[in-house]
Amino acid sequence: MPTQDPKGTYSGVSRRQFLRRAGGTAVGLGALALSRPISKAAAQGASPYTEWIPANTKAPKRGGTLTRASAWDPPMLDPRLTQSVGLYQFAGLTSNRLVRYAFPDEASGAGDMSLKGDLAESWSASPDNRVWTFKLRQGVKWQNVAPLNGRELTSADIKYCFEAYAKEGVQTFNFKEIEGIETPDKYTVRLHMQTPNVFVAHALAEPISIVFSREVLEEDGDLKKRLIGTGPFVLKEHTRKVRAVLRRNPDYWDKGRPYLDEYIILMTPDDATRKAAFRAGQADFVWMASPSEVEAIRKTNPSASVQAYHNSAVFFGLAMSQDKPPFNDVRVRRALSMAIDRQKQVDTVFEGHGILGWGVPYMYFQEKPLTAAQFGPWWQYKPAEAKKLLAEAGHPNGFSTTLFYYEYWPQMTSQVQLVQAELKKNLNIDVKITKLDYTTYYGRYVESKWEGLCWGFQSGHAVGLDERTYQYMHSKSTKNFFRVNDPQIDELTTKLRQTPDPKEQRAITKRIVDREFDQVARLWMPYDNGFIVAQPFVRNHASIALRRTDGYGSPHIARVWLDK
Amino acid sequence: MYKYVLRRMFLAVPVLLLSSLIVFGLMRVMPGDALTVLMGESGNISEKELAKVRKELRLDLPYYQQYGLWLWQMMSLRPGDSLLTGEPITVSLRKAIPVTLELAALAMVLGLVIAIPIGVLSATRQDTASDYAGRVVAVSGLSFPDFWLGTLVITFAAIWFHWIPPIGYTSLWDSPWRNLQQFLLPAAVLGFRLSAATMRMTRSTVLEVLREDYVRTAWAKGLAGRIVVYKHALKNALIPVVTVIGGQLGVLLAGAVVIETIFALPGMGRLTVEAILYRDYPVVQTNVMLVAATLVTLNLLVDLTYAWLDPRIRYS
Amino acid sequence: MNGDRGAASMTAAVAAPPVLEAAHAPCEETISRVRLLWLTLRRKPLGAVSAALILLLILTALLANVLAPFDPLETRPDIRLQPPSREHLFGTDDIGRDVLSRIIYGCRISLWVGLLAVGIGTVAGMIVGLVCGYWEGRPDLILQRVMDAVQAIPALILALAIVSVLTPNTTNAMLAIALVIIPGNSRIVRGAVLSAKQNRYVEAAEALGCRHLHILARHILPNVTAPILIIASIWLGNAILIEATLSFLGVGTQPPTPSWGLMLSSTGRAFMEQAPWLAIFPGLAISLAVLAFNLFGDTLRDAWDPKLRRKG
Repeated sequence: MPTQDPKGTYSGVSRRQFLRRAGGTAVGLGALALSRPISKAAAQGASPYTEWIPANTKAPKRGGTLTRASAWDPPMLDPRLTQSVGLYQFAGLTSNRLVRYAFPDEASGAGDMSLKGDLAESWSASPDNRVWTFKLRQGVKWQNVAPLNGRELTSADIKYCFEAYAKEGVQTFNFKEIEGIETPDKYTVRLHMQTPNVFVAHALAEPISIVFSREVLEEDGDLKKRLIGTGPFVLKEHTRKVRAVLRRNPDYWDKGRPYLDEYIILMTPDDATRKAAFRAGQADFVWMASPSEVEAIRKTNPSASVQAYHNSAVFFGLAMSQDKPPFNDVRVRRALSMAIDRQKQVDTVFEGHGILGWGVPYMYFQEKPLTAAQFGPWWQYKPAEAKKLLAEAGHPNGFSTTLFYYEYWPQMTSQVQLVQAELKKNLNIDVKITKLDYTTYYGRYVESKWEGLCWGFQSGHAVGLDERTYQYMHSKSTKNFFRVNDPQIDELTTKLRQTPDPKEQRAITKRIVDREFDQVARLWMPYDNGFIVAQPFVRNHASIALRRTDGYGSPHIARVWLDK
Repeated sequence: MYKYVLRRMFLAVPVLLLSSLIVFGLMRVMPGDALTVLMGESGNISEKELAKVRKELRLDLPYYQQYGLWLWQMMSLRPGDSLLTGEPITVSLRKAIPVTLELAALAMVLGLVIAIPIGVLSATRQDTASDYAGRVVAVSGLSFPDFWLGTLVITFAAIWFHWIPPIGYTSLWDSPWRNLQQFLLPAAVLGFRLSAATMRMTRSTVLEVLREDYVRTAWAKGLAGRIVVYKHALKNALIPVVTVIGGQLGVLLAGAVVIETIFALPGMGRLTVEAILYRDYPVVQTNVMLVAATLVTLNLLVDLTYAWLDPRIRYS
Repeated sequence: MNGDRGAASMTAAVAAPPVLEAAHAPCEETISRVRLLWLTLRRKPLGAVSAALILLLILTALLANVLAPFDPLETRPDIRLQPPSREHLFGTDDIGRDVLSRIIYGCRISLWVGLLAVGIGTVAGMIVGLVCGYWEGRPDLILQRVMDAVQAIPALILALAIVSVLTPNTTNAMLAIALVIIPGNSRIVRGAVLSAKQNRYVEAAEALGCRHLHILARHILPNVTAPILIIASIWLGNAILIEATLSFLGVGTQPPTPSWGLMLSSTGRAFMEQAPWLAIFPGLAISLAVLAFNLFGDTLRDAWDPKLRRKG
């Protein structure tokens, strides 16, 4: 079944041509060696794939099993101790949050960032944004699994949960901002914040702020073994490195949902195997990095639906040890930025389907994605000027430095090597690359004591504006991996948390972004967006900005149904 | 003979201790820490938090104490829990070992079934076209890296047949048919590589033995050629082949991490390698110890098999 | 890996009577060895082919700057992922580098890795084996136990651990592989030394009061070199494969180094469908190199193994 492509056509390549090529490809390696290069369409940057798959107008059918081959195996089930997507790819289904973001069948488009109530029906803030009151839904039941046995959720549960988050683990930073929690009645939770913050509801809508149960924590001593929540799916089985099986919660408070009987996640560490699983029908949807991979899949699975995903949540850039020379000099940072041809990377490595780079998602301060010009003068490819600027900063002959990274996907290795070549050619900067395994890379990066350069990230789960600004850029924040240290940014991000008016918020955010670009505080690099490819019978699975359905956007699966 | 066996076992103890010391030392010297993976992609861990978790996991004790603690745990057969998952290591092993055993057994069988007949054929028809063909095919099995062959197999199975082994390990007892489907392809890939080495060794030792006097004598006596080959020559030729097989079994039991990763099998290979990459010290130490002990025992068995195969060999 | 107990085939029958060999001077021994090899090569075409291949590899490695049409590190992303053409005989990779040039330079890297790893491993193993086999007693007991302890750790795990301790790069991968090779080699050498010592005239030399070094050089070493070279030739192939697997696990050679193993395990696998030539050529290169070394090892065995030689 063809995807709902607004343009109505695939750009120039008919199905027959696909199939003919499929025959050629299947013949053998010898023939493959002479196969045609990636289609011109992809090389020219036009993407025949839609960016949004709106909710299907048919009435949803109940039943069926959705399967997915996943790269991520959760290290443990305890939401206090990990933010890994491996856990939240299904913890978002076993559990609820107080507040959530819109689902694909209620969202207006791929950029919809509106909040909806999850466990809370409504919420309000005091005029100074220090006291937040949440009214809980009534009749929400915990899953009918011992020791909860389907009892009702009350405000005491929320209080217990938030206080536990504040006590230990990876979410303490956020939850410690709560001074005190009141529960005036069974269905009301009142949070008293230490400082005024307009984004409290957004913080609680983060995919990781799930509500867990007191009984399990008290009985087991930790949450590593059992994951029981109030969510649409019950975790029936979790075998490490093998699979996770989620079955419909018959007592779910959102009546009629979820539509699926079962959601099975198969732990499949190898990328080629995940693709093969999709082809063989063992996986119902899969994420792919580049247009040429999608084309290859469509040769064998021509009716697969494809969503071009533009708003991935994980941002990568060239992190510099900017608390030390030479990167503490803004001229050096600007020179580096001008010496790298980002557009070329988008056109080649990402086959036209990439973003030049962003730190704060554009939808928080403007309507459309940033154009190259909007980045400002220091982000254009001007190697001659870069060389001059670097000389001015005292490095006319360049210098040597190191760069370490972890290969999250193969395009990253391509980028790293391109950057190395360009810095050498344009600025005579010698970059020695070290490719590391995940633990070494991650540990070294977040410790923030490394020297030289790193292909660094900003965390994957954060949807909210506060996370993306204050948490990542304030000089005192422990999540400031890029080591940004700018008084103006500190001031603006703090001010932002106290600005309730949405228009003003956008204005301040724009000022933060402008300052970031001007100071090249974080040297963003192009990165992938990828595609969500699904079997033709899957409905309502579209990924929305910063919430990919197979990852942190897993709550979407409550609305997925199978048209078979 | 018994004295020999006892002596070997007695000598094995310091060897295993030394191995454990080497692994312990290597793991601790490695940069990075089990904690960083535990905290999974967040950085807002205060030093206090880190210190607390480190204390809970007993990583703050001096190294010799940690080693002693682990040794004590091993002796009492309670190896403790994984740092990363908190799962008792005995549980992880109970899940991983059957996978590796099954893969190893199947790969060995497939490998031998291919290797020995071809090896013998190659030897008896030395320097003919079939010899060359056999040798080139066998050596090509040695030349392709696991990860490439495995990726090739699974990618083209999906493209050509729209079928791949069902993902999601099921044990032999739960569903034999599904289990066999899962293991056949990876065992074949592994077996192909193993068969290469075995085939070459078979060929060379059969060649040697065929030249022995007693073989010529048997030939001169007029026994049918084939009986000569199989009965007399093979038994003697088996000694070095047994060595090779023993060595391969050792490698297999350590786990074939690459094949396990590509075919999504949760075996010992992945368990150990992933534990190294995640700096999960107790898991690595325990696994390597287990495998080392198995290898040492296997070596002993191989040596004893020599004595059985060749009556001239006697141990005192 | 099949090398470590290969000595068994040569020193198996412990109770068999010692082989009486004519007392040759070492250099005569070497000349007759080379002559034997040459004769074998002439008679066995597969051996000759493998020798030729090895020669080709060595020449390619030495003459890489001359042979390679492009700079293997020059990135030209505009022409990325192009199939083989007249200008780029092996196509271009994910950032537009010429694959043929990278394969040619890769020859240098792979041979370097192989030779150094196996060289160090062999020499070190030989020293340990000689010490153990010749002097026996306490040093033998202790050293052999240490070798056993190292050998009890699975090779890939040991290599992975060593590379993880040091920084992952080509040199450290070589060191790791060398360390993995040492125990097996030492055992083979020790076995060969033990059997050589049973030689009548070694006893005689000792009785006559010859210096140890003299005995080692004249009588022991010649018997040891043959098995060592045979095993080394096979390990050369294995070293290349282990380096490739370490790259697959993410701890091997660093980009942008054009090592075959890195090319195969990263870009080759990642772009297997879109650009199969990225996997085919490094794969073929590795296969040919391993094939050549293994077959050459076979030929050496055919030429030098005394058991086979007798009826030759």
